[in-house]
Amino acid sequence: MKLIKDKVAKLSFVALLVTVTAAMFYAPTASAHGEKSQAAFMRMRTIHWFDLNWSKDTVPVNDTMTISGKFHVFAGWPETVDKPEISFLNIGIPGPVFIRQGSWIGGQLVPRSVSLELGETYEFKVLLKARRPGDWHVHTMMNVKGGGPIIGPGKWVTVTGTMGSFVNPVTTLLGDTINLETYNLSNTYFWHAFWYALGLAWLGYWARKPIFVPRHIAVEAGKADSLITATDKKVAMGFAIGTIAVVAFGMSSTNAAYPVTTPLQAGLLRGMKPIEMPAKTVNVKVEDATYRVPGRAMQMTLTITNNGDSSVRLGEFNTAGVRFLDPKVHVDETGYPDDLLAEEGLTVSDNSPIAPGTSRTVQVTASDAAWEVYRLADLIYDPDSRFAGLLFFFDEAGNRQMIMVDAPLIPSFI
Amino acid sequence: MSASQSAVRSRAEAVKVSRTFDWLILFVLFFVVLGGYHIHYMLTGGDWDFWTDWKDRRLWVTVAPIVSITFPAAVQAVLWWRYRLPFGAVVCILGLLLGEWINRYLNFWGWTYFPVNFCFPSNLMPGAIVLDVVLMLSGSMTVTAVIGGMAWGLLFYPGNWPVIAPLHVPVEYNGMMMTLADLQGYHYVRTGTPEYIRMVEKGTLRTFGKDVAPVSAFFSAFVSILIYFLWHFFGKWFGGTSFTQSA
Repeated sequence: MKLIKDKVAKLSFVALLVTVTAAMFYAPTASAHGEKSQAAFMRMRTIHWFDLNWSKDTVPVNDTMTISGKFHVFAGWPETVDKPEISFLNIGIPGPVFIRQGSWIGGQLVPRSVSLELGETYEFKVLLKARRPGDWHVHTMMNVKGGGPIIGPGKWVTVTGTMGSFVNPVTTLLGDTINLETYNLSNTYFWHAFWYALGLAWLGYWARKPIFVPRHIAVEAGKADSLITATDKKVAMGFAIGTIAVVAFGMSSTNAAYPVTTPLQAGLLRGMKPIEMPAKTVNVKVEDATYRVPGRAMQMTLTITNNGDSSVRLGEFNTAGVRFLDPKVHVDETGYPDDLLAEEGLTVSDNSPIAPGTSRTVQVTASDAAWEVYRLADLIYDPDSRFAGLLFFFDEAGNRQMIMVDAPLIPSFI
Repeated sequence: MSASQSAVRSRAEAVKVSRTFDWLILFVLFFVVLGGYHIHYMLTGGDWDFWTDWKDRRLWVTVAPIVSITFPAAVQAVLWWRYRLPFGAVVCILGLLLGEWINRYLNFWGWTYFPVNFCFPSNLMPGAIVLDVVLMLSGSMTVTAVIGGMAWGLLFYPGNWPVIAPLHVPVEYNGMMMTLADLQGYHYVRTGTPEYIRMVEKGTLRTFGKDVAPVSAFFSAFVSILIYFLWHFFGKWFGGTSFTQSA
């Protein structure tokens, strides 16, 4: 028996050592937000984020930065996801490492949920104040009720300084300025400690006498009534009356200290103002689209008709936040995250200017490792194998025109 | 020593063993209740207890007492009918609050940096003390359910008001009015808890003007009475020995 015990103890010790050692040598940081594991069709066919700008790469604690840009609510919203009739403009960060000081859609503050219209494009801005030092992946994000979080592109931002110096001053309607970071904390601790101590006192009163065995014997012997004495009853009355008195006193003194309080504010904000997009002068018809698995490339056959008065060229294809650019037409100068930018990822069989009033059928290839890295290729395993994205055309004057495309996608495995 | 002989040889020894047994059982009871009740309350009360911007005058007041009277009723049944001990509700709340505070301080604040003034638990102690006292003085499950259950529901909101009221002070923020609690919910980003998940100020209780908290509390108290009966029976059944095989 002793031999077995010794062996179990020895093996347990070895197992503990192995576990501790393994944890010391390999303990990676979980630093992203699962954006790659979100179904590809969710990212390609719901909210299309574009013109994004992270105002800073490094922010000291207590300093602010903004994320701004636009998002297009895809008109061909998938049937399997609830429509964005109740949505919330969120931000994808690992906990409150920043605080959200403001968020706006179309210039309106949106601290509450909003209703978005399919097919519309909205301008947004989120103001963040740095709170906790570290390197944080900061994503745009839209929560949709019945659809879940739809996470957009993310960029690494470094917060410097110390969290201890963070302050969050807020001025109430009564004119008091408080630090929301620590406000009401001592009051909370006081009341919880007080009630906990009272509970312990009640438990202590009963635990000072024998608890289980003698009382059980007495109850079984039919002498249960003898276990509660007259003193017990007086003490209990004291506790009950004291409790009610303290609750009443707490209520009245609080009402005297805070005579003006309001209920929590809730409700859906409707009527978000979309961007008035210029009339489209370019028409695009997707003849076919295939995704070539071995080549990590999507190929589209597009018939482009230019109904405008200036010739146009295709410069960018944007889907799920990944941007494929034709560098001869358009170069990114916004500091867009490298992993989401295929600077030479867009190839057009004939990308010479399409003259006004003419049509052309071209082969467009969007190729980059991002198809695999961002698991967009998994689209072929989705229940509704369609792709969608934004095409950006540029005219001679550099004006840009956004065209939405949406079509079935056929995978090619050879 | 044969199996039929006693393990103790004197009354003093018996008392000592009995007291050791008391502390062992109380220790185990405390942490078993802490674990079970904590999970139960997190699953049923959940966000209403986590965040100040969920602690409203309508649904929090209604839901929290109803889902929290469960374990106190059951543990009371065991401790009272088997031992005549009237601290079942208080021991439950002591366990629950200790577990909650450890969770809020180490997890919510320590790991994910939510300020404690945003994620502290609700206070359930006033109702627990009164529930225990009513059981002790009446010795009746029915009276405890009706009077104690009613008190459980009614004392919840005023018992929490001293901590909640400062967070219901209004503030003007970029042209909108909010409470400080709303602002906490907006400032301290929760990626997995969008605003629309918040179940606050919903319902059709509109005919009482601004005084909906007492009405909600009365409704909660009424349902708490019913839940008390149910869980008291659970406790009685669970604390019995009829389902074990006799030797």
